[in-house]
Amino acid sequence: MNKLIDLQNITKAYGDNIVLDDLNLYIKENEFLTLLGPSGCGKTTTLRIIGGFENPDQGNVIFDGKNITKLPPNQRQLNTVFQKYALFTHMSIAENIAFGLKIKKKSKSYIDDKIKYALKLVNLDGYENRKPDSLSGGQQQRIAIARAIVNEPKVLLLDEPLGALDLKLRQDMQYELIRLKNELGITFIYVTHDQEEALTMSDTIVVMNQGYIQQIGTPEDIYNEPKNAFVADFIGESNIIAGTMVEDKLVNILGTNFACVDVGFGKNKPVDVVIRPEDIDLVAPEQGTITGRVTSLIFKGVHYEMEVMANGHEWLVHSTDLSPVGAEVGIHVDPFDIQIMNKPESDDEEAVILDE
Amino acid sequence: MVKKFIQKLYIALLFLFLYAPIAVLIVLSFNKSKSRAKWGGFTLNWYKELFANEQIMNALYTTLVLALVSALIATIIGTAASIAMNSMKRTPRTILMGITNIPMLNADIVTGISLMLIFVAIHYTLGFTSVLIAHITFNIPYVILSVMPKLKQTNKNTYEAALDLGASHFYAFRKVILPDIFPGIMSGFLLAFTMSLDDFVITHFTKGPGINTLSTKIYTEVRKGIKPEMYALSTLLFLSVLTLLILINRAPKEETAKKNKKQRIHNESKRNYSFLKPVIAVVAISALIIGSLVGMNSTSGGDTLNVYNWGEYIDPDVITMFEQETGIKVVYDEFEMNEEMFPKVETGAVKYDVVCPSDYMVQRMIDADLLSELNYDNIPNIKYIGKDYLQSAESFDPGNKYFVPYCWGTVGILYNKTMVDEPIDSWGAIFDEKYKNNILMINSVRDALGIALKYLGYSLNSTNKEELKEATQLLIDQKPLVQSYVVDQVRDSMIGNNAAIGIIYSGEAIYTQRENSDLVYVVPKEGSNIWIDGWVIPKNSEHKENAEKFINFLCRPDIALLNFEYITYSTPNTAAKEMIEDDDIRNSKVAFPDSSIISNCETFQYLGDEMTAYYDEKWREVMSQ
Amino acid sequence: MNKKKWLATPYVVWLAAFIIIPLILIVYYGLTNDSGNFTLEHVKNIATHNNMKALLLSLKLSLISTIICLLLAYPLAMILTKIKMNSHSFIVLIFILPMWMNFLLRTLAWQTLLEKNGVINTILGHLGLPGISIINTSGAIILGMVYNFLPFMVLPIYNTLIKLDQNVINAARDLGANSTQTFMKIIFPLSLPGVVSGITMVFVPALTTFVISDILGGAKILLIGNIIEQDFRSSRWNVGSGLSLVLMIFILLSMAILAKYDKDSEGTNIW
Repeated sequence: MNKLIDLQNITKAYGDNIVLDDLNLYIKENEFLTLLGPSGCGKTTTLRIIGGFENPDQGNVIFDGKNITKLPPNQRQLNTVFQKYALFTHMSIAENIAFGLKIKKKSKSYIDDKIKYALKLVNLDGYENRKPDSLSGGQQQRIAIARAIVNEPKVLLLDEPLGALDLKLRQDMQYELIRLKNELGITFIYVTHDQEEALTMSDTIVVMNQGYIQQIGTPEDIYNEPKNAFVADFIGESNIIAGTMVEDKLVNILGTNFACVDVGFGKNKPVDVVIRPEDIDLVAPEQGTITGRVTSLIFKGVHYEMEVMANGHEWLVHSTDLSPVGAEVGIHVDPFDIQIMNKPESDDEEAVILDE
Repeated sequence: MVKKFIQKLYIALLFLFLYAPIAVLIVLSFNKSKSRAKWGGFTLNWYKELFANEQIMNALYTTLVLALVSALIATIIGTAASIAMNSMKRTPRTILMGITNIPMLNADIVTGISLMLIFVAIHYTLGFTSVLIAHITFNIPYVILSVMPKLKQTNKNTYEAALDLGASHFYAFRKVILPDIFPGIMSGFLLAFTMSLDDFVITHFTKGPGINTLSTKIYTEVRKGIKPEMYALSTLLFLSVLTLLILINRAPKEETAKKNKKQRIHNESKRNYSFLKPVIAVVAISALIIGSLVGMNSTSGGDTLNVYNWGEYIDPDVITMFEQETGIKVVYDEFEMNEEMFPKVETGAVKYDVVCPSDYMVQRMIDADLLSELNYDNIPNIKYIGKDYLQSAESFDPGNKYFVPYCWGTVGILYNKTMVDEPIDSWGAIFDEKYKNNILMINSVRDALGIALKYLGYSLNSTNKEELKEATQLLIDQKPLVQSYVVDQVRDSMIGNNAAIGIIYSGEAIYTQRENSDLVYVVPKEGSNIWIDGWVIPKNSEHKENAEKFINFLCRPDIALLNFEYITYSTPNTAAKEMIEDDDIRNSKVAFPDSSIISNCETFQYLGDEMTAYYDEKWREVMSQ
Repeated sequence: MNKKKWLATPYVVWLAAFIIIPLILIVYYGLTNDSGNFTLEHVKNIATHNNMKALLLSLKLSLISTIICLLLAYPLAMILTKIKMNSHSFIVLIFILPMWMNFLLRTLAWQTLLEKNGVINTILGHLGLPGISIINTSGAIILGMVYNFLPFMVLPIYNTLIKLDQNVINAARDLGANSTQTFMKIIFPLSLPGVVSGITMVFVPALTTFVISDILGGAKILLIGNIIEQDFRSSRWNVGSGLSLVLMIFILLSMAILAKYDKDSEGTNIW
């Protein structure tokens, strides 16, 4: 696996507003990489810099070993699927798809074949002569994808492509995208603020906030071992509780010591403790590390969502077993399910946590 | 960088193009000379005179009231219509929008004429109301086109949500829809206001007597030369709007300097609001001006007199004096050509009480039975009018039954002695190849053909078609030599040394010679036209006695003298002539030529409908070459 | 919602009384003679040598000025969209502002600028350059038309361009189009509604003007507008209406073209 795209020390500011600060990131061939973060985190700017729609103030974009930082978008071997499709409304579907190929002066038969192929690929055979306005959102998005992929780019950039679709369609399209990527065998760089989308589709997730990369990793890494409170909070639901690292493998949470697996934080060091709600086991009061009382109960389909008041904290718990409101329960957490993180160092990170 | 520079240069050049004429007008407002062709030094005088000029102030008042009221009514009707159309089905909406586009796409001239036709058809007297209706008609589309896009953007659900929450239709509209479309309504209003302000053509066709907007006032002045007060007024209007715009746009600029995201969002919502300010400002300014003028404009009701005269053909003070002395309110209207005046009197769309046509037109009006006989008991001052003039008037008004002479003169050549080789004494000069592009020919059927006929040695009342064809050919051959065809604009062009030779009425010659001493007036040896204008009373006049009072007033020597000094056309009032203090003028051969010259000249006669049409046709043949 | 339709009543009445019926009157006058009998004589009048010549000249001059307006306005609108103005209304106002100076005066000012001894020639003279002499020619009329109607071309084009989705342009670039190709294939076609309404907004008034040719053409050049105006001025209503009918054919034509590009029936995109 070699680096297909390498972003080196990218900095970008609009006026006084620094959007990207010394960002370094590489993307491997055949990877489905997702840039994930809240709006304003710099993910779209990163994508636009790769696409060539923005020039970084500093730093280089290396593509396949060549520096393409200053290259205009039309000379880059990558294509983009835009947020609101950006179809050419004055052209038919076929003309939309043929646009890039005509520019490259491909033969008519080649173009016709490609249109057929692409429409089949996105399950819209026979739509050649329709106008974009007559299609639904999901269909338009597929056309936008078809229009991009007929050019056989090495990399497909997708800027929140599913943002405008409704939930069901979004889920269908997620599977479509995975299928497409497998069939085409090219690199996808995907921008989204939806963590579920990211977790479902990606090989690699890059969590970004305030122009900084917070964590890079596989979906499992990101979910199970968030590096900081921001990531933990942004990905899935979490109990984030202030605690103290008593010693290696022992953390004090709200006055009670819990066994954990983390080492190297020092002694009596204040830390943040992250526990996923599904990792909390509700047991009989006497079996729990601490005890508490159930204060709310909601049925969520696959599981129940409960809040348990214990040691002065509302613990969020997901469980397939029901404990009625008012029941006294014990809380147990396996040591490897407790995630210890350093307290945030920059004000930026802190600010965001308060915001969220 | 180069690209940026070129872009900026391009914008700068286009803005220069757009604003250069405006700069010229502003400069002219400080020009001491009355002629736009000559810089006579710096003065603020016109700004002072502006406020004393009742005609201009009245026109300003009418213009602003018209703009404000028509924009307001158009905004109300247009907004209501937009809301209704927005909820219509596609087909009726498309049809309505199509019709809405008509006044915008249709030629102003067709819109104006069609509206005039309907007013005439239903015998509705043209006046302020007819202009107002016309303005509302062409303003509504601008409002609809501003409001519709905003309506389309509004979310239908919000309105329904408001109803759901218990709001009445009206309340929901006021609280939910209105704020959304308000910027559209405001820009529609502003646009309508501006369009009404700038309109000329439609007003021109639908206005009645005594109603002048700034546009129509200016148009009548175009031929005579714009009064510098008008430049001053335009400058004031323009600068006040400009200042307002700068003030309005300065505030938000400072805000965007802080390029903060939240700030930007903040501005977004502010932007809509900022559109309000120019509207408020415009309304406030107009209201202020209207308010200050309203006292001036209050009509005393009671007795009125509708006067229809040539443009710039009376000293405005004379009208004021007449009003003060008699208590009669004068409604004053102007025309530029006899041929334009005739149909207006004929159709009776406006009932004029006293009109000032020329000799041959008087004859035509008598033939058409449009005039009423004068009662000389009410015009004792007729005794001051020279017998010669009354006698010569008998050629078209036998027995002096209808016509009292007012001004007279000759048609001749005005030339710049520094620009010609030898003194000119023949019409031949204006057909001479060597003055190519230096000749200003007269733009008037009878005058132009008359000159050609005279040069060829025929009568200027010729009804011989062969002679006329010959004259027409002469004029066609002359066309490449002509710099432009003008009537009164000849004054400014000659003063500004823009041409060597022009055809001019003797009265205008005196004024031009005052401004440029190189100019010489001559009545060519082949003979020319001697004309006489005077007052008649149309049959459909409703204030005949007032009209006679007015004529009598104008015959008073002191009044005739005031008029002579103002308009510089020769007066038939012998008593007034004796009162002229300036010897040069009293003895001027231009104003009062020798009888040898007069006897060499002919007056125009009315040649009958058919011959008139033939003259028109021949002249059009010349003009369309 | 149905109640809302009643709000259109005043407007519909107004339309009927002051737009439809007046136009019918023009048709009536144009197709009848003095005694009210049907005749095509006045419409046929257009075919007379002089009228035809004036019409063709009007078509020629208005076509030229429309093209010049388009060529001047399009780049201007493009540049304006790139300038980050703090308010969209500001740009609109800059173009409306000159209208606060009466258009007759502004046109008249061109006389002062263009005359033989006018401002421009004086400046050129001081610079040692040869003077220009376009006053009283077709050139001056075209200049007057361009001057008066340019804002009506700039604003609709500017309005469609500013509404263009930047991502659509990006998409074209992304798919390999260079700036020229992006302009030719995407930007220009998408701005066509604005261009078309701009063209009609310039072409129709230019075709029918009589004031500009009067003031800047030295009355040496008769346009169809001048002829119609003279007809009405000297009370030849039937003749004038007949010629107006012919003019309306051209206007209807422009409306049809406009309607084709304006499928949303949003009206012309002027403001």
